Amino acid sequence: MGNLVRSFVGHVRAVATGLRYLLLPNRMTVYYPEKLIELPEGYRGLIRYYPELCVQCGLCAMVCPAGAMKMYVKKGEKRGRPGVNYQRCIFCGFCADICPQNALEMTKVHDVAYEKLEDMILSPEEFAREVRSPALEEGAVKVKVIFSEERGLVHEPA
Amino acid sequence: MLSTSEVVRSRLLAREGGEEVYELFIGPQHPSSGHMRFIVRLDGDVIVSVDPDIGYVHRTMEKLAEGREAVKAIPLLERMTIIDSHNVTIGLVRAMEKLLDVEPPPRARYLRTLLSEINRIASHLYGIGIAGIMLNHSTMFMWAFGDREVWLQLAEELSGARLTHTYSIPGGVRRDLPQGFADRAEKAVRYMTRRLEEYAKIFLENPQVRSRYEGVGVLKKGEASRLGIVGPNLRASGVKYDARLAEDYAAYSEVSFEVPTLEEGDAYARMRLRIEEIKQSMSIILQVLRKVPEGPIFAEKYLKLLPPKLREQVLSTGRVKLPALFASMKLPAGEAVARAEMGHGEIFYHLISDGSAKPYRLRVVTPSFRNVILFRYLMPGHRFMDFPAIYGSLDYFPPEADR
Ligand code: SF4
Ligand code: SF4
Repeated sequence: MGNLVRSFVGHVRAVATGLRYLLLPNRMTVYYPEKLIELPEGYRGLIRYYPELCVQCGLCAMVCPAGAMKMYVKKGEKRGRPGVNYQRCIFCGFCADICPQNALEMTKVHDVAYEKLEDMILSPEEFAREVRSPALEEGAVKVKVIFSEERGLVHEPA
Repeated sequence: MLSTSEVVRSRLLAREGGEEVYELFIGPQHPSSGHMRFIVRLDGDVIVSVDPDIGYVHRTMEKLAEGREAVKAIPLLERMTIIDSHNVTIGLVRAMEKLLDVEPPPRARYLRTLLSEINRIASHLYGIGIAGIMLNHSTMFMWAFGDREVWLQLAEELSGARLTHTYSIPGGVRRDLPQGFADRAEKAVRYMTRRLEEYAKIFLENPQVRSRYEGVGVLKKGEASRLGIVGPNLRASGVKYDARLAEDYAAYSEVSFEVPTLEEGDAYARMRLRIEEIKQSMSIILQVLRKVPEGPIFAEKYLKLLPPKLREQVLSTGRVKLPALFASMKLPAGEAVARAEMGHGEIFYHLISDGSAKPYRLRVVTPSFRNVILFRYLMPGHRFMDFPAIYGSLDYFPPEADR
């Protein structure tokens, strides 16, 4: 009998806990691409190259653990400039962290899609272009992440 | 063409005196067996034996790591247990530091502890969620995975990446605490504390779930140590062993925490123990945030190799710049071993260097590799429906075994 009562109470408590969230759902989902989460400072997204700062030392290509960064040497020049292969890059950020000139910067953009595999290989010139988020260009609303004791994470318009 | 019943019949292994043993292959398939195959022999629906057939995600990481410079092994090996990526590499970083004879400064040790515990909570939530869905309790799955986002968000703010943190490097950590981190972490802790009570109500104390877990897959204390089981699976059988206490790493000797143990050793105890560990991790996080000392996050030995302008930049931004030496850092000849406690249990590294930039040998013993033997020992004698219940309670992670 004691068991039966305990079991009954257990069931009621389980169902009641579930019902609470049926009435007050706690949703953390963000509807991308209509909404786009603002990423934290220091996020390791796609990389931007600033050629005017670069001293062509090649350290970035040397440290790259994925073999994604390569030096492109132009005809008639001795030293190369870095280009990146996003088929391989794992966004570890070692290249930006080792660059003594701050010529590489990890941006907050990560939602770029490519049509062709070849497009993912960026020459130094392409690498130097500004990185843009397609969702933002299509008019996505930026939301920021707020920590909440009641709901975990809440997303509010930034 | 064979009819369905003929296909099943073709796996009939033995027929003796009216008893029939069937062989059933489960997986490899991602959402059921995981990246592995179980060869299960069944007498009716009673499990006779289980052979865990691992190796389907073999990425030869140990061998790959021997072909590249040592620092490059960090982002490579963290993919073994991507859900616990700081804990999986901190042992490697410690082994490298022992060879290089460099110690991380105190603040870096505290920050390592911080990310390790955030990772442990996320890893346990992952395991609890998967265990939930294995019992068809989709609420537990959804809740645990949703709440895991809270911890991933914290980890992302600290390291710059959601999962592949690559946070610890020889000599320290790469980033300092971001502005307002302590406040957000405290909110996360308060939220999670309440949620754990709800987990108990909807899942762990749910009579339905209890009847699936209690007395199922019992691992006796003696058996657990004889088989070399590690992590929560060992502690749920009453053995108080935790690599955080056994090996001096990060700031674990400077914070106080308990190593919870339970005596029952059944699936239910293993699940409850993970909840207790989450509570302990949260207490460690709060202590770290209160006690974290001021100071550099990267060893002076490497900081002074940076040009003065960069050194200043590191101090003002709290983001480490790597000295050029890191691109091809030579490891002094010798051997080093290190262990660390992951969410799944103890990980062990053995690093041998011949003095070049690439490790001569790099060997890893992962917790899931040590725990996989449990499938063979715990399953026989149980009904087939207990298979997913026991599997879920073990928090076994196939890609980690196949290193
Ligand atoms: S982020 Fe890492 S993988 Fe990508 S190019 Fe830089 S060093 Fe290579
Ligand atoms: S490390 Fe920096 S300065 Fe050196 S080649 Fe790469 S981008 Fe240029």
